[in-house]
Amino acid sequence: MTRPEIDLCVTLGRIAMKNPIATASGCAGYGEELARFYDPSVLGAIVTKSVTLEPRQGHPPPRLAEVRAGMINAIGLANVGLEAFLDEKLPALAAYDVPVIVNVAGSTREEYLEVCAALDAAAGVAGIELNVSCPNVKEGGIEFGLDPAVLTRLVEDVRAKVSRAALIVKLSPNITDIAVTARAAVDAGAEVLSLINTLRGMAIDPWTGRPALTNVIGGVSGPAIKPVALYMVRRVWEEVAGPRDVPILGLGGIQFAEDVVEFIRAGATAVSVGTANFVDPLTGPQLVDGLREALQRLGLASPRDLVGALNLDR
Amino acid sequence: MVTESVNVHSDTSPPQRLGLAVLERRDAGRNYTRLVLAAPPAWESLPGQFVNILCESDPRAAAASERRPIEWDEGGEWPVAAGLELGRGKWPVVRRPLSISRVLRDGAGVRLEVLVRQVGPGTRFLAARPVGAPMDVVGPLGNHFTPPDDDRLCVLVGGGCGVAPIFGLADWVRQLGRPCVLILGATTLDEVPAVFRSPPAATGDAVAPCDGMADPDLGSVEAILSTDDGSAGFRGTAIEAARRRLKDAGDDRPVALYGCGPERMMRALARLAERRDAPCQVSLECFMGCGIGVCLSCAAKVHDPASETGWTYRLTCRDGPVIDARDVVWE
Repeated sequence: MTRPEIDLCVTLGRIAMKNPIATASGCAGYGEELARFYDPSVLGAIVTKSVTLEPRQGHPPPRLAEVRAGMINAIGLANVGLEAFLDEKLPALAAYDVPVIVNVAGSTREEYLEVCAALDAAAGVAGIELNVSCPNVKEGGIEFGLDPAVLTRLVEDVRAKVSRAALIVKLSPNITDIAVTARAAVDAGAEVLSLINTLRGMAIDPWTGRPALTNVIGGVSGPAIKPVALYMVRRVWEEVAGPRDVPILGLGGIQFAEDVVEFIRAGATAVSVGTANFVDPLTGPQLVDGLREALQRLGLASPRDLVGALNLDR
Repeated sequence: MVTESVNVHSDTSPPQRLGLAVLERRDAGRNYTRLVLAAPPAWESLPGQFVNILCESDPRAAAASERRPIEWDEGGEWPVAAGLELGRGKWPVVRRPLSISRVLRDGAGVRLEVLVRQVGPGTRFLAARPVGAPMDVVGPLGNHFTPPDDDRLCVLVGGGCGVAPIFGLADWVRQLGRPCVLILGATTLDEVPAVFRSPPAATGDAVAPCDGMADPDLGSVEAILSTDDGSAGFRGTAIEAARRRLKDAGDDRPVALYGCGPERMMRALARLAERRDAPCQVSLECFMGCGIGVCLSCAAKVHDPASETGWTYRLTCRDGPVIDARDVVWE
């Protein structure tokens, strides 16, 4: 039996990826840290830590705690700021043969517009991922991400500033029906939907009563949230992304190649991997190899053949 | 008996993810276990650096390392995407950062020692790994202590699990031929992460070298024990013991202070160094998400004249764990 030649290439909006595996924002720094372990060029894309207009120190520690089957964090959007990102981080990232997607957070509409416009003009930015879903920072954009009318206005305004880079909107799961914000984002011009960001959560020391995080609440990530993320990808794919032909960048708790297959079957075109990078810095390349193996097993030539493919027969 | 020489090379290996087998597992005081891992011959790390060890979030790997029968057919069915074992209580997810305690060369082999303090399920898992079990290790990570370039007296202070890198630093300083005093602090004798040939004497108010430390065997290094309850060595804090030992050395004697231990101890050591106008390096301890500089969780507050607020955050995993004590904003 001849096996089909496997081609892992996918297209995420206008971004050509050599495979569907990307790093998730906040879990791969600006690429240089993971580059100590492997060549980032083997990835499909790198999504950077959030960039804001001004540098941010982030929240006082503790910023991260382990919870059952996952972790909870409130880093507080610590980042070097737009200027240092463009001057120091982006040139190094752009040197790798991998599309760079820059995650952007802001506290005001003006901040989003200024940062997005500057990034769109910068060489080496393949995509802009609008973070309208950081659960930990009041001014981190979540108020833009939960009200569909507010989200529509922001995405429309950003759309007008972004012409070269692909515009990706990262949706919050902290909402009753994620299809509502997904629709608002697509109507306003989002080319790609990225979901899900972390789920709001808490951890408390039972004996001292002290919250595990200084920020008290944080975002839950890791394997614990995978079923929720899968459902939300499916919901958005059925209601918005599938019918409108908008690709989904799926994420939430992915750790093994089987998880990637599940996300693609739910409707994702590509996936991002976050928390798993902390457990194993080599997760990215392992998922690329693992996905190839999985497709071989399924007798498929491309992950594109698997997007949305559920088998509902019993 | 194998003669072991201490690693004194000054270049360190780039961090890697490695499977290292457990060569030995030794008790090292109550709740402490000393694990010896078989590192590759090319391993180069320096005292202060750490390794980040997986507590097996993949049950397949956990089964393999516990030498339990693997219940699924690896060769046949596509292995299940088991993820985490939700039924087994609070199963650890992220790695546990452990200071490299000592690096011993034995022929072509490198024996990497780490000290595990059993605190929760993750460290209990690590402490229970049987000899021969593979450990999933990322390292060496972080920066290292720097010995002085003159022959000033090095005073190395370790508290609790913080003695781990201090042992390795003692090896290095001794190898360089510099005078060195080791001060080990604990609440009580049982909590000292070392093994003694015979129970060390309680010396009350006197600061005196303690003989008979068998594991680790640091050779001729002067070691002073301090316990809060006076059950062995000096009765009082390690810092008070250090202060008295420095007084004995004479006020004019140039010294360098090094420390790893609880934050309160490190703060007191920093103050002692300041009064003495001595250089002081401390290794900071904190919970880490990734250990490789991406999660940004292990932020430590440091002075930064260039910043408006006068301080900034520095990552303990990437820019530490060793830091000049004068840079730390003690809170």
